[in-house]
Amino acid sequence: MSTYASPGAGPAVHDPMTLPADDNVNKYTFCVELKGGQWFLQKGKMIAYYGTIEFNGIGHGRLDRLVRTSFHSPLHASDWVVAGGSGKMLLADRAFDVNSYDLDDGNLTIRAGNLLAFQPSLALKQSIVPGFLTLIGTGKFVAASNGPVVFMEPPIRVDPQALVGWADCPSPCHHYDHGYMTGVLGGLRAMTGLGGVSGEEHQFEFVGAGTVLLQSTETLMAEGATGVVPPEPGVPGGGGTGPGGHGPQSSGTPRLPGQLGDLQRRFGL
Amino acid sequence: MTFREINSKMVEATVAPGQRLFSQRGAMLAYKGDVSFTPNVQGGQGGLMSMIGRRVAGEATPLMTVEGSGTVFFGHGGHHVHVITLAGDTLYVEADRLLAFEGTLRQGTMFMGSQGGVMGMVRGQVTGQGLFTTTLQGQGSVAVMAHGGVFEIPVTPQRPVHVDPQAYVAHHGDVRNKLSTALGWRDMVGRGSGEAFQLELSGNGTVYVQASEEKL
Repeated sequence: MSTYASPGAGPAVHDPMTLPADDNVNKYTFCVELKGGQWFLQKGKMIAYYGTIEFNGIGHGRLDRLVRTSFHSPLHASDWVVAGGSGKMLLADRAFDVNSYDLDDGNLTIRAGNLLAFQPSLALKQSIVPGFLTLIGTGKFVAASNGPVVFMEPPIRVDPQALVGWADCPSPCHHYDHGYMTGVLGGLRAMTGLGGVSGEEHQFEFVGAGTVLLQSTETLMAEGATGVVPPEPGVPGGGGTGPGGHGPQSSGTPRLPGQLGDLQRRFGL
Repeated sequence: MTFREINSKMVEATVAPGQRLFSQRGAMLAYKGDVSFTPNVQGGQGGLMSMIGRRVAGEATPLMTVEGSGTVFFGHGGHHVHVITLAGDTLYVEADRLLAFEGTLRQGTMFMGSQGGVMGMVRGQVTGQGLFTTTLQGQGSVAVMAHGGVFEIPVTPQRPVHVDPQAYVAHHGDVRNKLSTALGWRDMVGRGSGEAFQLELSGNGTVYVQASEEKL
């Protein structure tokens, strides 16, 4: 049985010369060309490389300057490494579709688990929306998605699981559809639970000028637990909402004396 | 055409007032405009009897009604989506493969035994379709899900088509299907080719096959 779609055509064989520079090799693999420069990449997303490339965890002394200028998410620091050197590096993530995006003095917010790599000319910051990261500046970044990414113009309402990210949109907010719970039939449904829900009562709504990125399925990419926002009042998802939003916040585990505290996580210890 | 394929895994549907769509629950990815999604108690069209019929037949997938005016984007589970346009004929498809279909189509349930008697029932069991399958009839289009890409194979009276039961997605037209077995002594001793059962489709129409042997 032939494993290839077109008979006679075997798989394309690449060498360091024929590999594309900063472009997709196929739908699932992206090739980064390093010429003495550096790239940030999420741990474990590098599948192969040519040349001499060094991978250093964030927190490595020499990278201090770089991290200070373009990595502003200490809570994700343990999940990221810096690749430096010269050569070609292949990135992939569990056979999900991989794409690169160019930002030109712009901003883009993306689901934390979807971002694979970015150029240090971009600044990575944690979004106010929990679980999302914002990239600001000029440069290229690589992101994965479950199925091809589709770009949409607002106003649009999006299934929460299908959302990959958004650029320039000022208003990511929740939208609840209460129509199904009103009326005689709706009341009956609410009381008895019969008939169930359509599964589409809750969406994310975007209005204003910008672009919304959507993946082609509502199945999320399974992601590892990445950074947690600090439990402070007024921080969405921080967990800490005391009465009136004030007062001391207790994080999950009490801090023991002698512990480095948040610094530990910052340096991936 | 109501459905437009955006990429291999996503379709765009236009909804206009007075025009309904049915879709699998939770398959909406995004929408623009004023569109409402109502869970469908009956799991499809028809009266109470057809609802009971579907329940009995195990062809009652959770559906929702999509109404209003705007554009809706559908996709589900990372499966490939294929749009089939019907012009008055009947599409035979498994209920859980239905992503979305137009309200103009008449939905029904068919007993596999009615096509081929006892052998039809055996075929239903082997293909994993169960004893019943869903039919859609009329003018309109259907978005069908499949694991891997979908391709169409025309069925002509001269050339019957043999399909792996697991790779079969749907068929329409005047097509008779029967299960052909190639069981030999090798299968009995566990040395079979793994292709002992095939679906033989003959007549005049089209069969849709997915590029994978994985069921949804």
